[in-house]
Amino acid sequence: MVTQQRSRTALADYQRGERLGEALAAAAGTAGAAPPPPSVAASLAAPAARPVPSPLPEGHLDGGQRQQVLDTLITVLGGAYAHLPAKRAAYAVNPVQQLTLLRQRAGELSDADFHLQVTGIVSGLRDAHTRYIGPSPLRGVVAVLPFLVEAYGPLEDPTYLVTKTVPAALVDVDGGDRFRPGVVVESWNGVPISRAVDVYADRQTGGRPDARRAWALESLTFRSLDFEPPPDEQWVVIGYRDGRTPREIRLEWRVVAPGKAETAAAPESRTAAKQAINPSGEAVRRAKKLLFSPDLWSDEQNPVARVPDTDRPASRTALLPTSFPDNLAARALPGDEVGYLRVWSFDLEDDAAFLAEVQRLLEQLPQERLIVDLRANPGGLVWAAERMLQLFADPTDPHRRPIQPTRFALIASPLTRDMAASPFNRLELEAWSPSLEDSISTGDQYAQPLPLTDPAWCNDLPYHYPGKALAVVDAMTYSSGDLFAAGWVDNGIGDLVVVGRATGAGGANVWTSGQLRDALAGTNHAFQPLPAGVGFTLAIRRAVRSGAGDGLPIEDLGISGLPYAMTRADLEEGNRDLLAYCSELLGRPSP
Amino acid sequence: MLVIRGRVMPISNDRTVAPDESVTFAGQVWIGDDGLVAAVTKGSKAGPPEFAGAPVVDVGSSLVLPGLIDLHNHLAYNTLPLWTEPTQPVPFAHHNSWTGADSYSGSTTWPAYAFITACPEELLAYVEAKAVVGGTTTVQGSPPKSRPRDGWLVRNVEDESFGTGDRNLIYASTLTLNAALLADRANKMRAGSSFIYHCSEGQRGSVVAQEYTAASRAGCLGDRFVGVHVNAIDPAELASWSPTGAIAWSPFSNLWLYGRGSTTDIPTAVANGLTVCLGSDWAPSGTKHVLGEIKAAKLVADDADWDLSEEDLVRMATCNPGDVLARAWHRQIGRLQPGAIADVLVVSTPPRAHAFHRVVTATEEDVELVVIDGRPRYGTPDLMTKAGADPVTPIEVAGRDMELSLTRSDDAGTAWDWQDVVDRLDEVRAHPEDEIREALQGYAAFAGRLEDPAAPLRLALDMPTGVAPVGGLPKDLSLVHVPPVQSLTHDADWLQAVSANPFHGGVLDGLAGFYS
Repeated sequence: MVTQQRSRTALADYQRGERLGEALAAAAGTAGAAPPPPSVAASLAAPAARPVPSPLPEGHLDGGQRQQVLDTLITVLGGAYAHLPAKRAAYAVNPVQQLTLLRQRAGELSDADFHLQVTGIVSGLRDAHTRYIGPSPLRGVVAVLPFLVEAYGPLEDPTYLVTKTVPAALVDVDGGDRFRPGVVVESWNGVPISRAVDVYADRQTGGRPDARRAWALESLTFRSLDFEPPPDEQWVVIGYRDGRTPREIRLEWRVVAPGKAETAAAPESRTAAKQAINPSGEAVRRAKKLLFSPDLWSDEQNPVARVPDTDRPASRTALLPTSFPDNLAARALPGDEVGYLRVWSFDLEDDAAFLAEVQRLLEQLPQERLIVDLRANPGGLVWAAERMLQLFADPTDPHRRPIQPTRFALIASPLTRDMAASPFNRLELEAWSPSLEDSISTGDQYAQPLPLTDPAWCNDLPYHYPGKALAVVDAMTYSSGDLFAAGWVDNGIGDLVVVGRATGAGGANVWTSGQLRDALAGTNHAFQPLPAGVGFTLAIRRAVRSGAGDGLPIEDLGISGLPYAMTRADLEEGNRDLLAYCSELLGRPSP
Repeated sequence: MLVIRGRVMPISNDRTVAPDESVTFAGQVWIGDDGLVAAVTKGSKAGPPEFAGAPVVDVGSSLVLPGLIDLHNHLAYNTLPLWTEPTQPVPFAHHNSWTGADSYSGSTTWPAYAFITACPEELLAYVEAKAVVGGTTTVQGSPPKSRPRDGWLVRNVEDESFGTGDRNLIYASTLTLNAALLADRANKMRAGSSFIYHCSEGQRGSVVAQEYTAASRAGCLGDRFVGVHVNAIDPAELASWSPTGAIAWSPFSNLWLYGRGSTTDIPTAVANGLTVCLGSDWAPSGTKHVLGEIKAAKLVADDADWDLSEEDLVRMATCNPGDVLARAWHRQIGRLQPGAIADVLVVSTPPRAHAFHRVVTATEEDVELVVIDGRPRYGTPDLMTKAGADPVTPIEVAGRDMELSLTRSDDAGTAWDWQDVVDRLDEVRAHPEDEIREALQGYAAFAGRLEDPAAPLRLALDMPTGVAPVGGLPKDLSLVHVPPVQSLTHDADWLQAVSANPFHGGVLDGLAGFYS
């Protein structure tokens, strides 16, 4: 069985060639035999005609257990889901009624159908924060194809380019030596690639079509099996053009377990209630790093390499050593006049240490101009994202200070009123309680929006970058990434360059089912642990912008800015055109 | 079964026991295995026949009286020292004016959070033991728990269900409730529950007086309503409280926070037929336990020249709260008479001493035996042995070697070493940041049912958390400082701290006279 493993061993697993089908069969304990479907994952991989197993496999839910799952989801989506009014309006969905209908026939469905239908209802909310977690035995696992495909050109007519491959995974594949970065993907299992992306985008959680398409493109080659069903197929036939020559290659899905970085947020820490993250996106980000950035991955696995013994690297444009290699990368661009700070993720535990490291890196970069790149940042600790803004705003500038953090609100419902009034939640939720009570008479749909990051903490560091800075985001910049972008714009820190139409539009603080169960304990809405490891994540507090964008929601809208379309040179030459565009905005010629 | 022989002070309204509630007599209290008093007899008169062979604890001339009842406390904070705000030059106006003080959260919420989070079992053991050593057998204000533990050590008012699991016999709220919730409580009381409510706490005429009006409008002012403090209102308003309920009076806390003369108008309350009960309140502004609060009440009453007898004061910690609780519990408590709950206190008393004066002046050094629910819980080694207490752990109190019947909640058969409790509290105190983090990890790691006996015990704080950063705690947990755990008794350090606060105008300095 493939289980959550330390990231140190994950690459080795991959290189040994652990195939998705084998992993699913092993997870089912039926390798080489007719496997009973233990979960949605295995069910999808197994032939439908296989006999009914006996005894029932691990992960099977009987009628009562399914009803418990549905009743819990009905309770929390109906009473605690922060975006329910907006999602009903935007997508004409009624998840509570859908789940109630499913409840009537849940016992008649196969395990696979049951979990797929629940997944479909929850995914229909188009919210990467709010996910159903089925009883997959492949926890912590990401299904991968050994290459990365990215799009460039106009959103309406993109070109799909293979930008990275894992050569070790292609050695024994027929034609593997010709499948390399730079080939253009034209079809996917015989379907034109643009159509394949659009079809898969319909299953994706993104709010706007461009965000859904971006995630669909990523999901063609990477799927976090914690949050998504495994691919229907065990291999993919990719049609591509190598120069003028059309070719095909057949590649199998494999699995890796990228784990978490040592600096990542601990699920049991007090920061757990202050997360704004797309957990699926974070797992995929880690898997990509494992496959395509072996040097960075090696640095992360080798603590010694992370200790910066000098402030400057050997080359002026080489990456600076950092103690947060999973979150940060920094270097000077050629010409040494523009600094480049990559913020991969806000998934971290210690925001104070993180900010100290950001400051240390900024001090080593050119001091006049800076690009802060948050593309594909899936979010993380709200405190880290919002406190980081102050590093780019002069405290004496009245137009940029004090930094105003985003504010968050619970939806007003009997459930949230009870939850906020519970004595066990006073330190976390008491501040929202009075306005939740008032909402009974005011009719407000939400409690008073309040910050998760104390405004004083957003203005408590003496350092700030002295030069001009701009930020770059894209449709996969999500959650705390959205918050950072919102704060960047709303506090007037600098230009925001947007690849695509806006950021990914994840405007909420997200809790796990375990956290919500704890918070509801002792109330009239308490629920018991769900069977067979079933769980969910839920947008619990809706974010609204502050400062110039005061009151605007982030969910489904995102943060817009100066639009930019990626070029082929960007994909093949290290963001060449994008960085040139940004440098010009900062007042310098192209590096 | 257990028989206690001594000078019985039953405070009984059962005329088969005594002709009036003031008498004491040499006699015996017969306690059944059901935790109830089976009989109270005079002299050497034989008791019920089923008691043949039952252990007899002869305490000589010592007083045998109902266990003390503390009707107002906040136990989660009772390891902490007395609190004053250094920047506050004059007494506070009302209960909302001190929760915003600069040092409030750091002095109360944060250290209490460290203990309830990192060592909830040890915290409960310490604070309940602190109550017991002062003769307390029933206390209000135990922290909300994920798994109520009635029948463990001290009787907790809110948790007590008498084995039924019904936690709705008595409601309580420290925080001010809105009109809708007050109305709900009014209806709960009409359905048979009681409601203990912090109400109009502050200087007379301050803005919080309107809380009493709100409670009145909601229909709360009845015989099942216990108003805690109620010192901010015009006493004339008490006349409208009908049918008459009760007031929980905490004179030490009133003077500590609001100044001399700012306590509840007890004579007017009594004149209006209200039942007055004592509560020692929490450690940051209260006495160590209700035996200490009796003394504060005497000092305050004498200072105000109120006509309160020592018997009146003792009744405020025994039969008065006992009668109030009996309205919801349908079991008599706070009196020694047949059918009553067998919570008993034995106080060392010289022959022919004035009984009520003796109780008022008694200190922790005079507590000889405490029986809760018919079981010996604390006392001298000799009496604990005679009462058949097992298991027990040694504990030193006020320089005396005593024994405490303390067990872990998951193992009722093995004594819990008192030193282990103290050591664990000190461990948390030494490294609160690490201990909080580790505890949170433990909570998160438990995926089962929260009411499962194996689930980590969760406690909650019941007092205002104060003006704190978002989330109620400092962002940097290293700022959580936990002061040394305070002693179980009214010791010299505590008395010195009392005299350092000028708000009470020296009235409470008189406490030192009881403990010298």
